[in-house]
Amino acid sequence: MRFRIAALLGIIMLCIFPLSIDRQEAYGQSTQVDSARRALVQAFVSVQEADLEGASPAQISQLADNLNLALSYEENATRLGSNFYANQSLKLSDSASLEAQSVANAARAQTLFDQGSAYSLSVVAGFGSALLVLEFHRLNDIARKIRLRRIRLE
Amino acid sequence: MVPRRVIVFILLFASFSVVYSSIAYYTLSKPPAQEFMAWGVFSPGGSLSNYFSGSEANVTVGKSLSWHFAVTNRMGSIQYAQIVYRLGNSTSVSPNATVSGDAVPQLGNSSIFIPNEQTALMNFTWSIASSISRGGLIFLNMTINGNQVTTSVGAVGGQRFRFFFELWTFDVASNSFQYGYKVQNSRVGVPLQVWFNSL
Repeated sequence: MRFRIAALLGIIMLCIFPLSIDRQEAYGQSTQVDSARRALVQAFVSVQEADLEGASPAQISQLADNLNLALSYEENATRLGSNFYANQSLKLSDSASLEAQSVANAARAQTLFDQGSAYSLSVVAGFGSALLVLEFHRLNDIARKIRLRRIRLE
Repeated sequence: MVPRRVIVFILLFASFSVVYSSIAYYTLSKPPAQEFMAWGVFSPGGSLSNYFSGSEANVTVGKSLSWHFAVTNRMGSIQYAQIVYRLGNSTSVSPNATVSGDAVPQLGNSSIFIPNEQTALMNFTWSIASSISRGGLIFLNMTINGNQVTTSVGAVGGQRFRFFFELWTFDVASNSFQYGYKVQNSRVGVPLQVWFNSL
């Protein structure tokens, strides 16, 4: 009797074991795909930030190509339940995200430099213009002197 | 006592600096632009008409139709766009500028990242694999972009089916796709639809 119960329990365990392995594998795949999706969204946020910071259209276009490739890997991972594609997508998204952050920093620095240069030039030009207006009569004097010198030489 | 010339110089310097700084600010500022997204469903011939290569919108079982979407982004920054497709019939509630067609079941979707001021093309290749008659209605088994899809909306005699196409964009604040695109504090939906009959 005891042997029968033990055998029955053994058979039930054998039946349940593959199911639990399948479920764990499915859970693992789903986790990988979820991570790939999160990484893709994070990469998109970084690229959008770089875009708004003033990165060049060529840089954004190249980053968008990488995002679209990562998206196609993520879609394959979802459709095929493949961890390989999920990992490829995750790697590509992470590298796009890092590149976007570096592009955003460069764009931010460039914008600051451009603004600094433009406003400095405005102040210098303002100084020059004020000086020119104030000392304009001296320029007339200098021009007159030069003209006189030429006449004398002739 | 400060000499008069110095006061005049300071006044002139300040005035010129303000004028030149204003010019610099104007030059550095982005010109204001209306943000929008535009899109269309194009036939194999690349036009917005003649989707079925004939005057009638009849689609026979097994006939493959290769359409494509062209989505233009003028939102000022890169967008994560998604096109959602649904199949309805003549009595289905249509999506509009504010509400999506959630009442009609979704057949699938396609997503893409589109940089600002660029137009992205997305394929939409579909065919009717088979049709089933049930309760006086015709239901379709379709293949869309290589995926098998069974529809849950039927049409009387297979007539007047409608594809609803909706443009959704990813909203960073809610971390999800939202219907339409964002303009200031509201969202604008631009749904499209194409009628066809199943033969």
